[in-house]
Amino acid sequence: MIGNLPFVVCMILVALGLWTLMTRRNLIKLAIGIVLIENGVNLFLVSLGYVRGGVAPIYTYAPQGVPVNVPMAMPTPQALTLTSIVIGVATTALLLAFAVLIHRQRGTLDAGRIRELRG
Amino acid sequence: MNLLTGEGFWSPLVWLALAVGVALLAWWLRSKGRQDYKRGTEQATPFLSGEPMPEGVHVGGQHLYWGFVEALRPVVDRLRAFHSGVVTDYVTWLVVMLAVVFLVVMLS
Amino acid sequence: MSLAMHVPILAIAVPLLGAFALPLMAKVHHRLRDLWALVVGAFTVAMIVTLAVQVFTVGVQVYTLGADTPDATLGPQGFPIRITLVADAMGAFMALISALLGGAALIYALGFLEESKGKTLSMSLFLLLWAGMLGLKLTGDMFNFFVFLELTSVAACGLIGYRAWESRPPEAAFKTLVMFILGGLMVLLAVAILYGEYGALNMAFLSAQIGGSLLDRVALGLLLGGLLMKAGAVPMHMWAPDAYGEADANTAIVLVANTQAGLYALFRVVFTLYGGAATPEVGYLVTTLGALTVLVAVLMAVVQTNLGRLVAYGAISQIGYMLLAAGVGLVTLGVGPEFGRVALQGGVFHMFNDAACIGLLFLCVGAVRRAAGSGDLRSLGGLAHTEKWTSGFFLLGALALAGIPPLNGFASKLMIYQSVFQLSPILTALAVLASILLLAVFVRAFQGAFLGPRQSMSGAPLSPAMLAGMAVLAVVVIAFGLVPDLVVRHLVAPAAEALWTGRDVYLAAVLGG
Repeated sequence: MIGNLPFVVCMILVALGLWTLMTRRNLIKLAIGIVLIENGVNLFLVSLGYVRGGVAPIYTYAPQGVPVNVPMAMPTPQALTLTSIVIGVATTALLLAFAVLIHRQRGTLDAGRIRELRG
Repeated sequence: MNLLTGEGFWSPLVWLALAVGVALLAWWLRSKGRQDYKRGTEQATPFLSGEPMPEGVHVGGQHLYWGFVEALRPVVDRLRAFHSGVVTDYVTWLVVMLAVVFLVVMLS
Repeated sequence: MSLAMHVPILAIAVPLLGAFALPLMAKVHHRLRDLWALVVGAFTVAMIVTLAVQVFTVGVQVYTLGADTPDATLGPQGFPIRITLVADAMGAFMALISALLGGAALIYALGFLEESKGKTLSMSLFLLLWAGMLGLKLTGDMFNFFVFLELTSVAACGLIGYRAWESRPPEAAFKTLVMFILGGLMVLLAVAILYGEYGALNMAFLSAQIGGSLLDRVALGLLLGGLLMKAGAVPMHMWAPDAYGEADANTAIVLVANTQAGLYALFRVVFTLYGGAATPEVGYLVTTLGALTVLVAVLMAVVQTNLGRLVAYGAISQIGYMLLAAGVGLVTLGVGPEFGRVALQGGVFHMFNDAACIGLLFLCVGAVRRAAGSGDLRSLGGLAHTEKWTSGFFLLGALALAGIPPLNGFASKLMIYQSVFQLSPILTALAVLASILLLAVFVRAFQGAFLGPRQSMSGAPLSPAMLAGMAVLAVVVIAFGLVPDLVVRHLVAPAAEALWTGRDVYLAAVLGG
């Protein structure tokens, strides 16, 4: 049961992020909500890759000798997480850049007032 | 040369041949009509209940289906309100649809 | 090791390289940049056509990255750990669509974009978006699926909002980006769940493993939610009119291709990835959403006063027809009555037709904005006096989109109507009604913008490149309308078959045996 704790934390993060996106009106807070969801998903990926008692997936670190079946953590989830973090940085930067532009032009960050495009 | 569409078939070349035939028929019928039409006389101007014709009037696109849109007004107004343009509403609808999709996927 | 072996990766790598080299070329001279963009575009289109010829004549093409030979998909232990690109008939068909729209957009953009208004950056982002779309259509690996999805999201939103000196584009870009990131994260969560369950990311391998377990269903729900949003199904379509309406014309047609890439991804997930575990309930859901999309989008198009937004709602309604057809195919998948196959063929055929007609209409909207200086139907009028070609192209696109014979939209809509009728006559009635309303909408737009007495306009004349871009799509609209049987037999039927029964072929091509 305690082993599932990381997954519960991930889902709490995702739910908090969605709650932020649905209830907050400030564009910066919306960006924060997106980052919360992103981190929840990234944490999920990392915790998937954890192997109890496993060794790092580096060939020279593999223990020498008799026990051949020492569990080794797959490097894939870490690689996926790194890629996803980089993508997250790019999207968040773009999002904040648009928020700055909107604030410069209209002097407001309230999503409820930024609705020139509707109907 | 026929595209099978389940129930029947569709062949644009046959359709085009028929369309040309109909056009020729229409032209022939039209040529049977009265010959006293003269271009550039009063016959060519539109008749507006006897009023003099105003110059350079254009009925804009937004007026074209005025009655139709007016009849649909309750539906259309609700739809416009639904497209509120607030980004949090977009997210809310996404979450609502996600819930619906989950319901369908889990119950199936 | 001939070049022909490496066609799948070259189709993605060339526009990617072209995108990043383009600003450097612009530093030298702007003519060199235009030449470079044309060369990259021509090479990409050539690669896609070569790939399509290979797929349609030989069979599924598999390309493994980082292996000694491109067909060694399985690692040494017989486990598909390497990154693969897989082009089956459906993927190649979609790549042809993006080749058509990308090529037309490139030619148009050379004449349409203005030097002082970020032409270099816009074209660079366009090539990036093109590469992302092609990657999405050719990848055989769930994680790269996510990476390319995000690549298209970032490039698309950059393109929507790059006119930062105006007030509306950043707003549209912000809203669209929020939705795209959320959709992408849902897909990533689903990918993570599938990875955690099966320890693999290869689509064919996953497809062979997926049953109907709880985690599989959760992942399916997340994938459906994210990809339906990306495809613009009502009520998750609200980003689409903002994005299409505010983007430049050449961007808008690439966004249409991007939306269709989302739809393709949805098809790939439900027909190939979950093909063995597909349930009719999901099919009914997709069908319902399709009918809803058609109706709501058309009703919204009736009341629009901005030409760009009007055409945007038209584009959303066409996505509804494709969802409707695919839903009918999904309901009958595995049961196998003939109308399901015809519905799927109609839906797939309609994707190409919609790309051509809607693309043509968006390019005409751009031409109207250039010629008249605005896209507001309340002030437009009389453009047909000066813009004869544009008005002709607009009429052609509008009639084809509304399904007037003998243009291309009619053939695919007829297939959809007749096959959907056998599932539910009510849905066909709704679809026909929506088509009539669509014709009314475009008659209104044509009357408002092009007919009427001559008006004084504040715009600039059109360049030959813009007309050439529109002409490319107009030729496709007419040609596909005149010989739909040949197109269906040689392109559409194999593509639809790849979804309908092609899952085993796909799995065998990747996993062997």
